[in-house]
This record gives sequence, C-alpha cells and structure tokens, in this order.
Amino acid sequence: MAAAAAAVEVTVVDFWCNEFGMRARLALREKRVPFEFVEEDLRVRERSDLVRRMNPVHRAIPILIHAGRPVCGSLNIVEYVDEVWSKTPRLLPADPLERANARFWADFVDQKVYDAQARFFTNRGEEKAAAMAELLGHLRRLEAVLRDRPFFGGDEFGFLDVALVPFSSMFYGYERHGGVDMEAECPVLLRWVRRCGERVSVRDVLPSGQDMYAIHKEFYQTE
Amino acid sequence: MSPPVKIIGHYASPYSHRVEMALQLKGVPYELIQEDLSNKSELLLAKNPVHKKVPVLLHGDLAICESLVIVEYIDEAFDGPSILPADPYDRAMARFWTNFIDTKFSQPIWLAYWSEGEAQKAVVKETKENLALLEAQLNGKRFFGGDTPGYLDIAACMLGPWIGVLEEVTGVTLVNGNEFPALCQWAKEYSSSEALEPCHPDRDRLVAYFTENKEKYKMMAKTMLQQ
Repeated sequence: MAAAAAAVEVTVVDFWCNEFGMRARLALREKRVPFEFVEEDLRVRERSDLVRRMNPVHRAIPILIHAGRPVCGSLNIVEYVDEVWSKTPRLLPADPLERANARFWADFVDQKVYDAQARFFTNRGEEKAAAMAELLGHLRRLEAVLRDRPFFGGDEFGFLDVALVPFSSMFYGYERHGGVDMEAECPVLLRWVRRCGERVSVRDVLPSGQDMYAIHKEFYQTE
Repeated sequence: MSPPVKIIGHYASPYSHRVEMALQLKGVPYELIQEDLSNKSELLLAKNPVHKKVPVLLHGDLAICESLVIVEYIDEAFDGPSILPADPYDRAMARFWTNFIDTKFSQPIWLAYWSEGEAQKAVVKETKENLALLEAQLNGKRFFGGDTPGYLDIAACMLGPWIGVLEEVTGVTLVNGNEFPALCQWAKEYSSSEALEPCHPDRDRLVAYFTENKEKYKMMAKTMLQQ
C-alpha cells in the first residue's frame, strides 16, 4: 500500500538519550513526517553493521535514511528535513540574515555547549567547577539571543530551538551532579524550556531529566 | 544601491579566503580589511565578540561570523550563480563534506605538517586516510561541485594554494600525485580558474608568512600532540 511504503521511507538510527539525535527526531515530528526509529545502543562499544554502512566516515549517530540514502550530521539532517518537507512550516526562516544567525548559534551550541557539558561530567574538583561556570556562561549568551521572544525562531519554534532544546534534558543532571540551581542561573532559558515542553514533539522526544541523568552516570561512570 | 561589503580577514587564513571566493563567484565587489592577528582590532572584537576570529563579513550594518555560515549567507543574500547545489540531497552531501573538513580533516593535516618524529606518524596516517576520502569525492569531476567550483571547493580551498606553500616551508610531502592524482589535478584547476583568479592569494607572501611563523607553529603542534 502507498501509505505503508511512505511510512517506512524514513528511518532514523539513533539512541534514545542522544541529544544530537533528538534534533533529528524533533524536526521530523514537527514536520509530521512518519519515521521508523532504529535504536543503536551507544553503551555497546562496536557500532552496528547498519551504522558502519550508512556512516562509514564517522560511524556515528544520528543517521537519517530517506528512500535508502543516508544523511549524517544532526544539523545537516534538520536542514535536509526542512528543505524536503518544505510545505509544512519552515524551521529556518526565509531571511538570509536570520538564517545565518540561527546557523551561527546552532554551531555555537555544537562548538561550546556540548564540550563544556562533557567536561563537567568527566572532570572532578576545580576542573568540573570551571566547566560548569563555562557552560553557564554559554547558556547565558544564548539567553541574550532569545531575549523576551517566545522561541529562538521568534513567534515560531524553529531551527535553533530544535538545536538547543535537547540539552535541556540534561539540566536536572547539572543540578544533581553540580549543585547548580538552573532556575536561579538561567531563568529566561528555563521559561523557554517550559514553553517548548508544551509541544507534543518535545514531550514525546525528550526523555525525563531523571532518565538522562541516570544513563549519563552510566556512560561517564560518575559517583 | 546595495550596502557595502567588507571582510575582516587575513591573507594567510584559508577560512578568510573562503569568504573571498564566495563573493568572487557571486560577482560581489568587496573591501578586504587585513586584521593583525597578534593585536586584534576593536572592530574585530566588536563584530565577533563570541569567537574573536577572522573572517567576519560586514554587509552594511550586519556582521556575520564563521566562514561556512558566511558562505551560505552570501549564497542566499546575493544574486548570481548558486554556490550550493539545488537538490536537497546534494546540499546535504555538500554540507556533510564541508563539516568533515572543519571537524575531522583540518586539525590532523595541520599537525602533520608542523609536527615531527613519532608523534607525526599517527597524524600523517590519519591525514592520508582523510585525503583518500576527499580524493574519492572528486570521482572524475573537475571540481567537487562539478564543472564549476561550489560549496565544497570553497571549503576545501586549503588544498589549493596552501598545500604547495606548506610543503615547501615544512619539507613535508603529503598530497603527492601518486596517491592523490585527483586532488593534485583539482589544485591545478583551482589555480587556473579564471573565475577565482582575482582573489588568488599571493604565493610569495604566504611562503614568507609561514616561514616567519614556522617555529611558533612547530611549538604549537608539539604541545598539542603531547596532550
């Protein structure tokens, strides 16, 4: 049947707690594109045949497979989804400057936020505290970008919202692991997180803070 | 009348060069403001407070940072031949490989040129594996973008003018014609491209720059590989 063929035309290879993979799954849900979720357990050291075949260069997830062809790189996937399913509301705005800003700040999240978060979980003592201070600094920069708008995309949930919101599922972990009071440190961002949490896509894709913290403790072997 | 276009850049930076290439391919006139990287200007710090790096594109009052973000902006903001392909899957492939260049390729090749001894062997091996991947992407084409230079050619510009200079200054040969004939041919196509000729870097100036900074880069590479 045509409907069934369309339903398996899109596959996402990912792991439930992968913040980068959540971007791909959020984009597809926002666009109402049905997809098959194939889980790749990152706790297993060796990558599966599927991942090695579909992403031989990086052997990483997420991977979007559309009509048999792989797209790799989380932000790349989001742009691809936005361009292919272009009749539904666009994640990237039309204006070139706004697009550049969204891409710049999404790249900032990749260059700065993830790295500081990883160092926060893997280091101890002074280095851990320094990583958290850095991380909060990055998040405050992002608060300044958001200002008093509902979303980074303005009135609409957009590209940068998709790029950043998965990291909010780690905020509970920052509090438990670092004694940080996120509401006090980043109140503007927390308001945005709650607003995003009203969306079905975000509620369905983001795991609970507790589950994220538990599995990251396992990965990083903390405490 | 379109607002003036300027680049805050540096003649020895391939990232800065990417922006020049993009404007050149679009036929957009621009002014290049040379930055002294050892003494960063108020202008640079004001226009790129987050990263404090070149290149920065100034388009009237607007400032755009990060070379690939700038190139996509140029493609979208100005009329002229398209830099990125039209088809979404081809665009995704171009973005995949430009991301590869920035996140996996650039650092090892830089380290391969400036390091020595045992530490150098591992980065040379990694670099050759990466070069082989890019070699395969050319697949008989003149440019990564096909008959004319495109997004990936711009991103890979370091493999053009810079390789010859680095190999001369360091004495290290990596991109040889035996192992990487397509990349060597690409470098020739690049240097003889009429479309890109106006923004070709001055080879002698690059040689002088890298010779002057040789000891500094060798020290940096040594420190980085010790970590």
